Amino acid sequence: MRGAQAGSVSDLEALFRDHWPRAYRAAYLVVHDAAAAEDIAQEAFLSAVRSLDRFDRRRPFGPWLHRIVVNRAIDWARARTLRREVGDEGLVTAAAPAESAQRALSEGIAGALAGLTPEHRAVIVLRYLLEYTPGEIADLLDLPRGTVNSRLRRGLDRLQSRVEEDR
Amino acid sequence: MNERELRKRLLTDPVPEELEARERVWPTVRAAWETRERVSWVERRARPILALAAAAVLVGAAVSPPGRGVAGWLREQVAAEEEGRELLRLPASGRLLVESGRGPWVVRADGSRRLLGAFDEATWSPRGLFVAVTDGRELHAVEPDGKVVRWTLPRPERISNPRWAPSGFRVAYRSGKTLRVVVGDGTGDRLVARNVGPAPPAWQPGPEHVLAYADEDGGISIVNVDSGEGLRRFHVGQAVRELLWSANGRRLAALVDEERIALFQPDGRLVRTIEARRGRAILAMAFAPSGRDLAVSDYSPASGGSILVIRPRTGATRMLLQVPGPLDQLAWAPNGRWILATWPAADQWLFVRTERPSRVLAVSRVTQEFDPGSTGQDAFPRIAGWCCP
Repeated sequence: MRGAQAGSVSDLEALFRDHWPRAYRAAYLVVHDAAAAEDIAQEAFLSAVRSLDRFDRRRPFGPWLHRIVVNRAIDWARARTLRREVGDEGLVTAAAPAESAQRALSEGIAGALAGLTPEHRAVIVLRYLLEYTPGEIADLLDLPRGTVNSRLRRGLDRLQSRVEEDR
Repeated sequence: MNERELRKRLLTDPVPEELEARERVWPTVRAAWETRERVSWVERRARPILALAAAAVLVGAAVSPPGRGVAGWLREQVAAEEEGRELLRLPASGRLLVESGRGPWVVRADGSRRLLGAFDEATWSPRGLFVAVTDGRELHAVEPDGKVVRWTLPRPERISNPRWAPSGFRVAYRSGKTLRVVVGDGTGDRLVARNVGPAPPAWQPGPEHVLAYADEDGGISIVNVDSGEGLRRFHVGQAVRELLWSANGRRLAALVDEERIALFQPDGRLVRTIEARRGRAILAMAFAPSGRDLAVSDYSPASGGSILVIRPRTGATRMLLQVPGPLDQLAWAPNGRWILATWPAADQWLFVRTERPSRVLAVSRVTQEFDPGSTGQDAFPRIAGWCCP
């Protein structure tokens, strides 16, 4: 972080490559759309880069980035069904490049997560992928801690039952 | 599945496109970082400084003339922040060049923008290192930060439609009704043709300096501007509104009188005609950076405006977007994954993702963003290019 703030492109690249996998993975596991996950993770990094010079180095970079990623992913997933995606029905269809990979993945944990609400997916991703405590998740999502705990509990229950169904 | 197993699977199960997406996004992040507004020591402490200055204004303005000077400084600081503030974020990398009543703007991917000056039209150099701008009877090459004018070329007649060659070594432009070319450093200005039509000239991608332009009488000419050799001349019979080369230089598209798009080989042979759908007018077209697809905007008062993506080689057509009004300009993002369509009647820009699932990002009140105080569709900004990968 210090190097990137001082103007080192190699340090910026190291920061990007270090944080990209979890940022992208977190976004994907919430939205279940590779293109949207890429957009969300990209937007989060662009926000971070825009504010890099003002960033307080005493604070950790990860939670700052993850807050942006997960909140945008929740917003995107919520809006997905509401958003007017014009013209889809009239398109000459072609398989999206990621479709086969997505199908393969649907057999795994991501497929099981897809059956949960975006809010439940987000707390599970924050707790078990990004390894935040319930208190930290409450701060990141601006929620009461009790809500985080109940979402975790219900989310895990549903996830468990979906995994067992798949078996 | 216990929590440990869940954690392991979340961390290790494959996620589609993770590495490919990382490689696509890194250049965008790097570009945003390289072009970010640097924050000086003063700016980092702007709030306390402004607070102190404001207090000084209250005291100073009340008691002495120097207080007015402090107030002026404070206004300048606020105005400077307004000029560079974030308006919108581009959904893909690159920079937009936008022509407005105040002059051309450069909009970066992170949404920050800069006014180049009180110029008329603008065009990117091929790698976005310079912008050619017109100012009445003058053609200038300026740097994209608007601070340095590299060269100026005066002409006796009004200059319009500047177009920078893909090589970077030539700039074509109209002066009155003549078509002229100048070397990329501002020297060697010369006449190419007289009595050219209103469609802007189009450079063929490639190492040669080959230029296509439309005559006043519905003819299209292709010339090598260095040798002066006329390579081809053919007629389409009606007014040519726009000329475009595909990215690989193997197709020349001519929009003919809002009725059809004629696709030619470089040797002038017509290879395909795309007719406007019944009762509709073709308003704009734009080749994808890949060269495979052609985006077309068409419109009818009864059914509104549409964006179609056509693959000229096969004729396959898909509908990308429908809106109630006409979309008068199209511009592909350098990565080919988004199209910017302009909608003057709604005072909006629409960023439309070209891949499925489709997605539309709307930017409202565009006129106010680029030309505050102006109203009406005449004041609506025009897109002069989305540069560069």
